[in-house]
Amino acid sequence: MIESQVRELFTEIADAEPADSRVDLQFARHRGRARLRWRRACVAGTSVLAAAAVAALALTTGLVRPGAGPPAAGPAAPRQFNPLVPNVSFGWLPAGESLGQGGVRRTDVYLAAGPRGLPDWGLSVYARGRCHLTGSPRGVKCSTEGQSGVSAMRFSESAPAVGGHRAFWTDNSLVWQYARDGWAALGWPGYPAGVRPPRHETVMRHRQAIKIAEHVRFGATTPPIVFPARLTGLTSQWRISDVHYWADSGVLGADSYVLTTRASRFFPHVGDLGVWANAPYIDIHPAPRKATCTPHDPASQNTSENINGYRVVLKRLHIGGLPVQELCGAHADGLSFDIQVFGVHPTIDVTRLFRDHMRLLGTNPANWTRNPLG
Amino acid sequence: MVNRGRDAEYTEYVAARLSSLRRLAAVLCDDWQRADDLVQATLIKLYVRWGRVRAASHPDAYARTVLVHEFIQERRSLWVKRVSLTGGLADSPAAAVDQDAVLDLRAAVAALPARQRATLVLRFYCDLNVDQSAEILGCSPGTVKSQTARALEAVRRALGSAPAGGSGGRPAAAVEHQIYPGGPGHD
Repeated sequence: MIESQVRELFTEIADAEPADSRVDLQFARHRGRARLRWRRACVAGTSVLAAAAVAALALTTGLVRPGAGPPAAGPAAPRQFNPLVPNVSFGWLPAGESLGQGGVRRTDVYLAAGPRGLPDWGLSVYARGRCHLTGSPRGVKCSTEGQSGVSAMRFSESAPAVGGHRAFWTDNSLVWQYARDGWAALGWPGYPAGVRPPRHETVMRHRQAIKIAEHVRFGATTPPIVFPARLTGLTSQWRISDVHYWADSGVLGADSYVLTTRASRFFPHVGDLGVWANAPYIDIHPAPRKATCTPHDPASQNTSENINGYRVVLKRLHIGGLPVQELCGAHADGLSFDIQVFGVHPTIDVTRLFRDHMRLLGTNPANWTRNPLG
Repeated sequence: MVNRGRDAEYTEYVAARLSSLRRLAAVLCDDWQRADDLVQATLIKLYVRWGRVRAASHPDAYARTVLVHEFIQERRSLWVKRVSLTGGLADSPAAAVDQDAVLDLRAAVAALPARQRATLVLRFYCDLNVDQSAEILGCSPGTVKSQTARALEAVRRALGSAPAGGSGGRPAAAVEHQIYPGGPGHD
């Protein structure tokens, strides 16, 4: 019987489990946290739910008047975005929904909105030249800084023009050209593979998506992004990138960013998204009441220290084959912070960065700064 | 590190199931290095969705579902571009049986489309019934039955048509190129 042979084969493969594993729990947690912040569920869902695309296509056909506009002419999209300002904002959202969080890299901007800040809509805006149309399958592929791989969005049909420019539907997003050589995608949560979204919901989503996209504002005045710490005394070679912020009561408070220099190097094959080496990853936000630093981990060397009056934990470990220094403080003037640097010989170590250069600004956003490298 | 509660629960859960997840991944991929990549990607997703994992009535089934979907999706996109430089079926255990026959069977199963292979793995490695497999794959029980039948028929046909003496350790990379000629995004 062929079944029994297949069973034996599978058992044989499984039983050959090698003792050494490259699976790294620390890394999974690290990237998991990063992904929670940089959640792109809406857009990423388009490729995940490719199997549902056919059903969605059948539903959407005829519901919205097809009519792709012309390729965008006029001013080109920005060559890069300034990570210290929001760059893009929603001009209209459905009743009861508001901006929840956002992120800015030089290559792209991300905004998430929904009821009570829960993600319901995800907007990605890409800088000039980051996206390329593909012929077969018909769609667009976009690449970003600091993240390996590309986001691939497959078009299902033409959408009504947005701002007079061409636009397309995927199974759960609207993709349009917002300026010459610049693309944007507005996504919403997809259904599991094989599950058809109710027809009325698809109609409503499409109407709302068009209206939201029509009102997206580029470069308009918005509240500034404010940072809960200031880094002083660093040489001018350092730059802030990959900023993530939360929107709370009209304040856009940064809680995660990366410091890079020309010496920073991206390792695309560490983990599934890649990491920057020689570039401190800084997480900092008001401390939850029960916040702690992870207790001793046998896989790392931990030392508790007192730096500038704050109790901190210094860890040395390996993640994805790279040495990592990590400095964590659970309660520092009401803030929790965590600084990680990947790489063998980082230009600046985490202890020196915190001890000599980082000034914490407390929990009141009114005291936070727009210029974290001031 | 902050988020102590989430991290501690997650770590405890994953550490206890790491071996079984690796084994399942290896059976899906037939390659332990890829299996580790697959498990790594799965663990990141489990972290992100930890609230749902905790709330699931069967967390292990949830984790298995994420792993299988990750396998099918990766096969569609990124992994098809990779070529194993080591080649060969390097992970083959020391065989006490007819090695050529095992290699032929292994090559035949490796040549199956990802969804068919996943169906066989769920049915014959995880010992799930048709309904349970359908739930994980997100398809109807009828589809599971047809996929199983097609997969077994394909394996049977491949073994029947294999030249005498078997494939003799055909490089895994070569097998893969035959499976996915369409490259990234090929369904």
